[in-house]
Amino acid sequence: MTLSLVVLLPFLGAIAAPLFAQAGRTAIAIASSVPALLALATLFPMWSTLAEGGTVVQTLEWLPQLGINLSFRLDGLSLMFALLILVIGLLIILYARYYLKPQENVGKFYAMLLCFKGSMLGIVLSSNLLLMMVFWELTSLTSFLLISFWNQKQDARRGARMALAITGGGGLALLAGILLIGRIVGSFELDDVLAAGDQIKAHALYPYALTLVLLGAFTKSAQFPFHFWLPHAMQAPTPVSAYLHSATMVKAGIFLMARLYPALAGTEQWFYMVTFTGMVTLLIGAYVALFKHDLKGLLAHSTVSHLGLITLLLGMGTELAAVAALFHIINHATFKASLFMAAGIIDHETGSRDMRQINGLWKYMPHTATLAMVAAASMAGVPLLNGFLSKEMFFAEALSLNLPGIWAWIPPIVATLAGIFAVAYSARFIHDVFFNGAPRNLPIFPPHEPPRYMKIPVEILVVACVLVGLFPAFSVGPLLYAAASATLGGQVPDYGLAVWHGFNLPLMMSFAAFIGGLVMYHYRQKFFDFHDRFREIDEKAVFEAAVSWLVDRARTLTVVLENGSLQRYAMLLVVSAVVVAIVPLAGMNLIGSNGLTPIDAPTAVGAAILIFCTFATVYIRRERLTSLIMLSVVGLFVSLTFARLSAPDLAMTQISVEVVTIVLLMLALFYLPSWTPSEGSTARHTRDLVIAGVAGLGMAAVTLAMLTSPFSSISDYFIEHSKPGGGGTNVVNVILVDFRGFDTLGEITVLAIAALGIYAMLRGRELQAPPTDGLGHPWALDAHPTMLRQMSRPLLPLALMVSVYIFLRGHNLPGGGFIAGLITAIALLIQYIASGDNWTQARVNVRYHNILALGLFFATVAGAGSLVFDYPFLTSTFTYLKWPVVGKFEVASALVFDLGVYLTVVGATLLALVSLGKLTPAGRPMTRTEAREES
Amino acid sequence: MNHWLIAPIVIPLIGGFLQVFVGYAPLSLRRTLGLVTTGLLLVSAFFLLMLADDGSYRVYAFGNWAPPFGIVLVLDRLSALMVFVTALLGLFCHLYSLGRTDVGSRQFHALFLFQLMGLNIAFLTGDLFNLFVAFEVLLIASYGLLLHGDGTKRTVPGFHYVVLNLIGSAMFLIAVGMIYSVTGTLNMADLAVTIPTLAEDNLPLVKAGGMILLVVFALKAALLPLTFWLPKAYASATAPVAALFAVMTKVGVYAIIRVYTLIFGEDAGALAHLGMDWVFPLALLTMVLGVVGMIGSGGLRTLVAWQVVVSVGTILAAFSLLNEAGLSSALFYMVHTTWVAAGLFLVVDMIAAQRGSAGDQIITAPRMPNRTFISVMFMLGAVAAAGLPPLSGFFAKLLIMNAATPGVDMAALWSVILLAGFMSLVAYSRAGSIVFWRNVQGHIENPEKLTFPHTVGAGALIALSIAIVVVAGPLSEYTDATAEQLRDTSAYTSILEAKMVGEDES
Amino acid sequence: MEITFALIIGSLTFAGVYLVLRARTFPVVVGLTLLSYGVNLFLFSTGRLVTGGQPIIGSTENYSDPLPQALVLTAIVIGFAMTAFVVVLALRSKADTGDDHVDGTRRTDLPDEATIDQPREETGQ
Repeated sequence: MTLSLVVLLPFLGAIAAPLFAQAGRTAIAIASSVPALLALATLFPMWSTLAEGGTVVQTLEWLPQLGINLSFRLDGLSLMFALLILVIGLLIILYARYYLKPQENVGKFYAMLLCFKGSMLGIVLSSNLLLMMVFWELTSLTSFLLISFWNQKQDARRGARMALAITGGGGLALLAGILLIGRIVGSFELDDVLAAGDQIKAHALYPYALTLVLLGAFTKSAQFPFHFWLPHAMQAPTPVSAYLHSATMVKAGIFLMARLYPALAGTEQWFYMVTFTGMVTLLIGAYVALFKHDLKGLLAHSTVSHLGLITLLLGMGTELAAVAALFHIINHATFKASLFMAAGIIDHETGSRDMRQINGLWKYMPHTATLAMVAAASMAGVPLLNGFLSKEMFFAEALSLNLPGIWAWIPPIVATLAGIFAVAYSARFIHDVFFNGAPRNLPIFPPHEPPRYMKIPVEILVVACVLVGLFPAFSVGPLLYAAASATLGGQVPDYGLAVWHGFNLPLMMSFAAFIGGLVMYHYRQKFFDFHDRFREIDEKAVFEAAVSWLVDRARTLTVVLENGSLQRYAMLLVVSAVVVAIVPLAGMNLIGSNGLTPIDAPTAVGAAILIFCTFATVYIRRERLTSLIMLSVVGLFVSLTFARLSAPDLAMTQISVEVVTIVLLMLALFYLPSWTPSEGSTARHTRDLVIAGVAGLGMAAVTLAMLTSPFSSISDYFIEHSKPGGGGTNVVNVILVDFRGFDTLGEITVLAIAALGIYAMLRGRELQAPPTDGLGHPWALDAHPTMLRQMSRPLLPLALMVSVYIFLRGHNLPGGGFIAGLITAIALLIQYIASGDNWTQARVNVRYHNILALGLFFATVAGAGSLVFDYPFLTSTFTYLKWPVVGKFEVASALVFDLGVYLTVVGATLLALVSLGKLTPAGRPMTRTEAREES
Repeated sequence: MNHWLIAPIVIPLIGGFLQVFVGYAPLSLRRTLGLVTTGLLLVSAFFLLMLADDGSYRVYAFGNWAPPFGIVLVLDRLSALMVFVTALLGLFCHLYSLGRTDVGSRQFHALFLFQLMGLNIAFLTGDLFNLFVAFEVLLIASYGLLLHGDGTKRTVPGFHYVVLNLIGSAMFLIAVGMIYSVTGTLNMADLAVTIPTLAEDNLPLVKAGGMILLVVFALKAALLPLTFWLPKAYASATAPVAALFAVMTKVGVYAIIRVYTLIFGEDAGALAHLGMDWVFPLALLTMVLGVVGMIGSGGLRTLVAWQVVVSVGTILAAFSLLNEAGLSSALFYMVHTTWVAAGLFLVVDMIAAQRGSAGDQIITAPRMPNRTFISVMFMLGAVAAAGLPPLSGFFAKLLIMNAATPGVDMAALWSVILLAGFMSLVAYSRAGSIVFWRNVQGHIENPEKLTFPHTVGAGALIALSIAIVVVAGPLSEYTDATAEQLRDTSAYTSILEAKMVGEDES
Repeated sequence: MEITFALIIGSLTFAGVYLVLRARTFPVVVGLTLLSYGVNLFLFSTGRLVTGGQPIIGSTENYSDPLPQALVLTAIVIGFAMTAFVVVLALRSKADTGDDHVDGTRRTDLPDEATIDQPREETGQ
C-alpha cells in the first residue's frame, strides 16, 4: 500500500512535528520535510511504469455498502500534481522557517501545513471519487485553519470563514454531483467512471451531475462568480498563500476538471459553461490585478486570472488545449510561488506591501529584485521563460477555436486583452517596486536582503522557470506527456514543445500584448483615475453582512415560532392529535352491532351530577377553591362509577388517591392566588372552546362506538389462571402483582422517583403564603386546633389496623398494597395536619427516603427470588399454612412484592407531601402585621 | 430463558435504590456506587449486543407467563443497539457529572440511574402498555433531572416539558385503549398478528389509535410541529443531563421505528405504513427549522439543542423512505448523532465554565484559558455534527443520501440535507471563531480547571465519532442486518410460540 | 347506559382540554386531573360496561374484563405521581418567577441565558 503511505505520511508528520517545536524552528522545519522526502522516495520507482502510460492502482476495501474504498491511483496527471505539491511544499517549509517569528506557534503552523499537504495528496491520488471527496473537504477545513492562522486579526478570521463557506459549500455541491455520477455508473472507482464517459454524457442526469461537479470545481478554483474568496485569503501568512494559491488548493478544482475530463468533457454544455466561466474569470482577474496597490492583492488577482486561463483551455475541449492547460499549470505554479515568496520577503523586510510606499528597492535588495523580476517576466509571458511557452499555446488555441461567424473573434481578442493586462500588472510589479523613485516612509527602513536561506526556494523556482523556458522538451517533456495521456485517456496529440515556432499569429498576439501592456502601464495613472470612479466593494464586508442578515432573520423567525408560550405548544399538541384522529374516524358508525343497554335511575342521576360538576369546575374556574371542591365531587363520582360498573379495586384506589390529591391541591392553593385573573382575548377562549369541544365530542363518539361493538380479549386466560396459577381470587390484584407484576414494579418506581424529584425540586426553596386567604380573611392564628388534634390521634392506630387488613386480603378481595399504603399515608398526613410536622416528626422518626427505597428493595427481592430456581424474574409461588386460631391461610411470594408496593406508596406519598409542607419556613403564613412589616 | 435480558433494567434499579439508601453517605461513596452501576450496565449492554448479533429473537417472560398474557421483554438487534448506545452514553455523561453537577442534590445519582432504567425498559419491552409505563418511568426521572441544579431558569421550560408530556401520556393511554378495545391484546407481537385480520368496520378505531400513538411518539422525538419545547428545555438543563437527553428524543424515534415496522409495518394489511406519508415532509421541515434555529441561536447550548432537532429530522426522513437502506442509514446516523450531540453539550459546558460571565453566549469575551484542548474538541464535534469528512457525520449522511430512490423525494431529501449541512457549517464556524478567536482585553475571574471527569467524559464522546469512522464497515453491516430483521415481522411474531420454563421442549 | 357513559367521558375530556389550554398553572393542573379522570374511565370502559361482575373468582357468573381494570389502576397511580409532581412544580414556578403564569415572567425566558452551575453541597435535611 505504498500510495496510501504517501498520503498518510504527512498526517503522521503533522502529529509528530509539534513535538519538535521546543527544539526550535530549524528542528521542526527539518522534521516537517521528512514526510515529503519519504513520499518522493516512494513515488520515484513508479516513474518507470508511468513513463509508458501505465497507471498504478492500489485498493483496500473499506465501506462496500457505500462504495467507498481506500483505493489510490498514480498516473501521469496525479504524478504531476503530486510532484508540485511535494516539491513546492518542501520549498515552503524551508521558506517558512525564516518567515515565521520564533514567538509564533510554529508547531501548530507546521502541523496544519502537513495536514493540508496530506489532504491535497489525497485528492490527487484517490482512485475513488468518494474518497477524493473526503480529502476535498479536508483541504477546505485545513485551509480554513491555515488562513486564520493569525486569528487575532479580524480580516484573517473573516477571510478564512468566507473561504470555508465558499469552498466547503461548493464541496457539498460536488458531493451531490459525484453521487449522481455514482448512480449513473454504478461505481465510484475512477477506472469505471472514466471508462463510462459516453454512458454518463448520454444519461438524463448528466446536466445536473455536470453542473454540480463544476460548481465544486469553480468554487475551489476561484472562478467567477466565486473568485472573490481568494484575494481575501491573502490574510494568511505568506508561505500559506504561496502554497495554497499557487500550486495546491486553487489547483484542486482544475485538477478535478482534468481528472474527469474523459468522463464529462466534450459536450456542448461543458464547452459553454467552462469556456465562458474561464473567459470572464481571466479578464476580471487580469483587470483588477492592475489596480491593486497591495502586492499580494495584485498576485492574488493575477492568480485568479491565470486560473481562468487554464479553465478556459480545459473548456475548449481540444486535445491541444488540454495539453496547454496542463503545461500552464506547471508554469503558473513555479513563477507564482516564487513571486509570492518574493512578495513575502519584501513584506518581511520593509514591513509593508503597499506599492505606493515600496519603491526603488533595487538599491536595497538587488538579489531578491533580480529573482522577482525574472519570475514576473515569466508571468508576463516574456520569451525564453516558461510563461511564454504556455501562453503561446493558449493564443494558438484561442485562434484555432472555430466558432460560428463573428464569435470566432471573441477568444483571440479576449486572450490578447488579458495578455495586455498581464503585461501591465507584471510591469507594475517590477517597475513600481524596484524602481520608480525612492521608498516612501516604510515601517522598516532601510530594508536589507533577507537571510541567505530564505532566498533559496525562490532561486530554485526561478531557475526552474528559466530551464523550462529554454529547454521545455528536455525538462518537463516526459512528465507533461504522461500527464496529457492520463488526462486525455491515451490519445495524445503531437505538440511541439519548442521555444521558436517561427513568425506566426500567436507570436504577433504576444507582441501586441507587450506593446499594449507597456503603453497601458505608462499611462496607468489615467486608468487608475478611471478605475477609482467606481466604488471598490469589499466582498468580505458583503459576506459578513449576508451572514449577519441571515442570523438576524433566523433569530426573528425562531422567536416568532418558538415563542415560549405553553398555551401555543399545548394547542399544537392537542390539535395535531385531533386532526390525525378525526381523519380515520370520519366514516365510523356511532352505534355498533351490540346496540344500547337501558340505564337505571340512580346511575342516571349520578352521571348527571358528575357531568354537572365537571362543567361547573370549568365554569367557576376563576374561583379556585370552589372549583377545587367541584373537582373533588367529580373525583368522588368517578370512583362511584367504578364501583357501579363492577370495579371495586378501582373504586377504592380512586377514592383514596382522590383524598391525597385534593389535600395536595389545597396545600397548593394555600400558596397560589385563590383567584384566576380574567385574561386572554375572547377569540382565544372561543378557539380553545372549539378545540376542546371537538376533542370531547370525538372521545364521546369513540367511546360510544367502542362500547356498542362486540369484543373478545385475552382476559379469560387471567380469570382461568388467577386462582390455580396466581393463588388469588381477586383477578385484578393477581394481574397487578403477578401476571403484569412488571408494570407494577415500574409504577411504584415512578411513584418513588416522583417523590424524590419533588423533594429535590423543593430543596432550598421558600415560599411565603399570602397573609390572607382569597376572600381576604386572615388565617387562623391557631395552626393546630385542639379539637382536630384530639380527634386525629386515636384515628392513627385504627387507620393502621384497617390498612393492614386491606393489605392482607388484597390478594383475594378488593384491596392490596397500594390502597393499604395510601390509607396509612393519609392517616399519618392527618397527624401532620393536626399536630404539625415537628410533633409528628418527633414520633414518626424515620427518613421517608429509606422507606420508599426499602419498598423498591422488597419488590425487587420478591421478583429476584425466583431467579434462584432459574425461573424468570417475578415468578410467584404460594403455599397454604395452617396456623392455630387463624386457621388455614395462604402465603404467596407475591405478598412480599405487594409489601414492597405498600412501603413505596407510604414512603413516596409522605416524602412528597411533607417536603411540600416544609415549603413555608415558619410552617404557617404571615399574619397581617408581619405582612405589613414586609411591605 | 436468558436472564441477561433483565440486567439492563435490574442493575440500574438496584443501583437506584441503593443510592437512595446511601443518600446521606459521603459523596465519594455515592459516586463510586453510581459509576460501578453504569459500568456494570455497559458490560451487560455489550453482552446483549453480542448476543443479539446472531439475528435471533430472545424472549423474557416475566412471571413465566407466556405471551401475550404476561409481559415479555424481546431482545433483537435494534433493542440491543439502543441499549448499548444508551449505556455508553450514560457512562460518559455520568462520569462528566462528577464534580460540578452531582454535588447539587443528593438525589442526582438515583434519578440518573432510574432514567437509564426507564430507557432500557422502553427499548426492551414487547408490550404496548408496558411501553407506556416505561415512558412514564423515564419521563418522571427526566423531569427530576431537568429541574436539577441551582438557579431559576430551568423552572419554566421544565414546567412546559412536564405539562406537554402529561398531555402526551394521556393521549398514549387513549391510543392504547382504542387499540385494545378492538384487538383485545397488548402484546406487540400479538397485535402484529391480529391487526391484519381485523374486519373492515373495526379499522377506524385502531387507525385513529395508531395515529394518536404517532403523535405521542412525535412529541417525544420533537418532530414538527411538536418541536418547540425542546430547545429551551435542553439548553437550560445541566450539561450531563442535556447530554443524556440526546437519547431521549431517540426514544421517540425508536418507538416510531418499532411500532411502525412491527404493528403497522408493511404486513399490516389495510394499516400498512400508517401515517408514514405525514412523517417524511414533516421530518424535512423539522430539519429546516432546526437549521434556522442553529443559525439564529445566540448561545452555544441553544445551538447544540437545535442540532438535536436537526438530527431527529434527518433520522425520521431517512426512516420514512420506507426501504431497508433508509432504515439502516437512519440507525447508523442515530448512533453517530446521539454520541456527538451529547459530546457537544459537554464541550459547550466546558467552554461556558472557562468564560466567566460570558458563559456559553456567542459574544466577544476575554481570551479563555485551556483553549487548545477545548477548541479542538469543539471543532471535531462541529465537523462531525455538520456532516463534513472525515468524521462520522459525513458517512452517515452519505448512507442516507444513497438510500433515496430517484424522484421528487430524493431531490427534496438531498437538497435539504446538503443545505442543512452547509448552513450548520456556517453556524458552527461563526460561533467557533467568535467564541475562541474574537477576544477582548481583560481577564476571566476563576475559570474552571480542566478536571479528569470532564475531559474524559466529553473527550470520549467526541472521540466516538472517530471510532465510528474506523468501524464504519462493521457498524453499517450491523445496521443493515437490523433493518433486514425489522422488515421480517413474522420472525418477531414467532416469539408468541416461545416456551416457558417447565414446559417440555417438544 | 353507553350514551351516558360516552357523555361523561366527552365532558371530562372537554373540560380537561379547555382548562389545560389556560394561562395559569392552577387551572392547568385541574385540567390535567380532569383529563386523567376521563382517560381512566375510557381505558376502563375498553373492557365494556358490566354490572355486578366484579372480577373476583366465585363471586359471580359473568366477570367484567379484569385487564383494563389493572391497567387503569396502574394509570391512576402513575397519574397521581405525575399530578403531585406538577403541582409542586407549579409552586416552584411561583417561587422562582413570583407569578403563577404558565410561562413564568419575562425574565426567565430570555433567548439565551448563559449559566454555569456553581458547585454547592447540600446541607443535611
